[in-house]
Amino acid sequence: MTGAQAVVAALEREGVDTIFGYPGGAIMPLYDALFEHPVRHVLVRHEAAAAFAASGYARTSGRVGVCCATSGPGATNLVTGLLDAMMDSVPVVAITGQVRCELMGTDGFQEADVCAITQPVTKRNMLVARANDIAETIAAAFALARDGRPGPVLVDIPNDVLKAALTDVTEPRVQAPFARGGAGPRVSDAAVRDAVARIRCARRPVAIVGGGVRAGSVDLYRMFTAMLGLPHAATINALGAAAPGDPSYLGMLGMHGLKAANKAVQRADLILALGMRFDDRVTGKPDRFAREATVIHADIDATEFNKIISADVALHGDLRDTLRALIDELARGHVPRFDDWAAETRLLGGALPSDRVDGGVLSATDVLDRVFAALPGDAIVTTDVGQHQMWAAQRARPANPRKYATSAGLGAMGFGFPAAIGAQFAHPSVPVFAVVGDGGFQMCLPELATLRRYDVPVKIVLIDNQNLGMVRQWQELFFSQRYSATNLADNPDFVAIARAYGIEAFALESPDGADDVIARFVASHGPALLHCACHPTENVWPMIPAGMTVDDLMEARA
Amino acid sequence: MTCDLTLRDVRSVARIVNLAHRFNCRITHVQAAVGELETSARFAFEGPPVALTRLRAQIDRIIAYESVA
Repeated sequence: MTGAQAVVAALEREGVDTIFGYPGGAIMPLYDALFEHPVRHVLVRHEAAAAFAASGYARTSGRVGVCCATSGPGATNLVTGLLDAMMDSVPVVAITGQVRCELMGTDGFQEADVCAITQPVTKRNMLVARANDIAETIAAAFALARDGRPGPVLVDIPNDVLKAALTDVTEPRVQAPFARGGAGPRVSDAAVRDAVARIRCARRPVAIVGGGVRAGSVDLYRMFTAMLGLPHAATINALGAAAPGDPSYLGMLGMHGLKAANKAVQRADLILALGMRFDDRVTGKPDRFAREATVIHADIDATEFNKIISADVALHGDLRDTLRALIDELARGHVPRFDDWAAETRLLGGALPSDRVDGGVLSATDVLDRVFAALPGDAIVTTDVGQHQMWAAQRARPANPRKYATSAGLGAMGFGFPAAIGAQFAHPSVPVFAVVGDGGFQMCLPELATLRRYDVPVKIVLIDNQNLGMVRQWQELFFSQRYSATNLADNPDFVAIARAYGIEAFALESPDGADDVIARFVASHGPALLHCACHPTENVWPMIPAGMTVDDLMEARA
Repeated sequence: MTCDLTLRDVRSVARIVNLAHRFNCRITHVQAAVGELETSARFAFEGPPVALTRLRAQIDRIIAYESVA
């Protein structure tokens, strides 16, 4: 067995069925081992798409996503996707080829110190120096990616190590605490009792749920909020955590969150922060965030406690265990109900403000309202980054958080389309829709070839407002309408491009007949593009300007 | 803030130095002794209390992630 064959065997042991990647010189032995192998390799057209596709696969399935690339430029092209996975706690394993051991450090062809480059964007990386170490290293990489707070891990393997014959073929042994089934941090009983005592004393509690809920805690989260009649809001990474139709759910909070969610949080006397990290897009100005509230913060990563917002009670542990402990402790005594307060919070909102224009011009918010109304109930939605991302997040009602994937923490343009490809490979029979803007879509256009090659039935909703819309919006509001480098009025003919790749394309240019076009697009077989030619200056409302609070919320142009 | 650490991966010394720089903390002392399996390292940092707290939390996370074989 060669090192490359050992890699593939290790991937099989981890249950990997799909790898997203792009070949090159240093990693050729691995591609040879993958040739006609049951582990499916999906050829993307740029390594960045491989990392994003692996992320989309992982985010929507809960399994570890795998990507691979060659040394040097191949590996460096993965970096943005790895950081995206790090920021949003997505389990991804990247395997990179490296130049031969004897060339390392010589500025060899396609050489890069990938371990040094990726140290800040991975939980950990490993350089494998001996073929005999491959199995154990890959097993450790998967354990580390998956366990605790999930995240990316990179394994860098020199070309000669991939080619070398193993002299010792034994089962890998991964050491605790990250070995499969190993114990993570266990939430303290005293902290749980303290938290429950504070919940019982609260008058205006609000729960904020974050991406931590994605790791198998949705059912308990719904049970917990229903048990208390608790008003609750979600970060963008937790959309879908609330039970469908839950009247106590206030929607997404934050910079472009719903008014009721932001106002309820600001009025709260107790914040239950569950698997969320108080991102600045959520808190605005931290010292003015929920000033009257006591904070109970639950997270699996102790690094998050007191990082932005001080916690009065820190619940360090897996969110599932924490929620179970809170429910059990509550059930031992008085279970308070907050229905009156929840009803009050619902009155804090109102209809979403918008800039829609009349006169036959297509509005992005109108298109997205129609698209979301037409989606099948089991659809998975990915989005790219920008205005459409916020409009979609305000409107989407996914059945659970694994039905929705977006680059939240990093805000990486070019994510949405390849992430949808990854999601579709993880769920071949589920309809997958990528909502993208004209800027981000042009960062990954060549992946249309990936759709065509594998006949992946991803549906792309392209909100084309001929602008880098979110930057344009900020230029309008905060930079004296000096529109520097945001105008994309010279966009290409996206419908023609899609058709050139053999992708069915639909053009939507006016509200007239829009529902019919959208229905035909949604019902189409195979990959398809819906090009929506939207008004160029529609803004995202409401908006809390960066570093401000809900008191500064804007609902329209001044 | 002084940290006496046992590291399984000597590269973490560099990572910690970079983090301190990023958090705007001044590194006043670094000493590392590399053993066969572990590295003993002593760091001393100066900086705003908030930055030092965040740095310490990040160091703890690095050590936790190192514990994988």
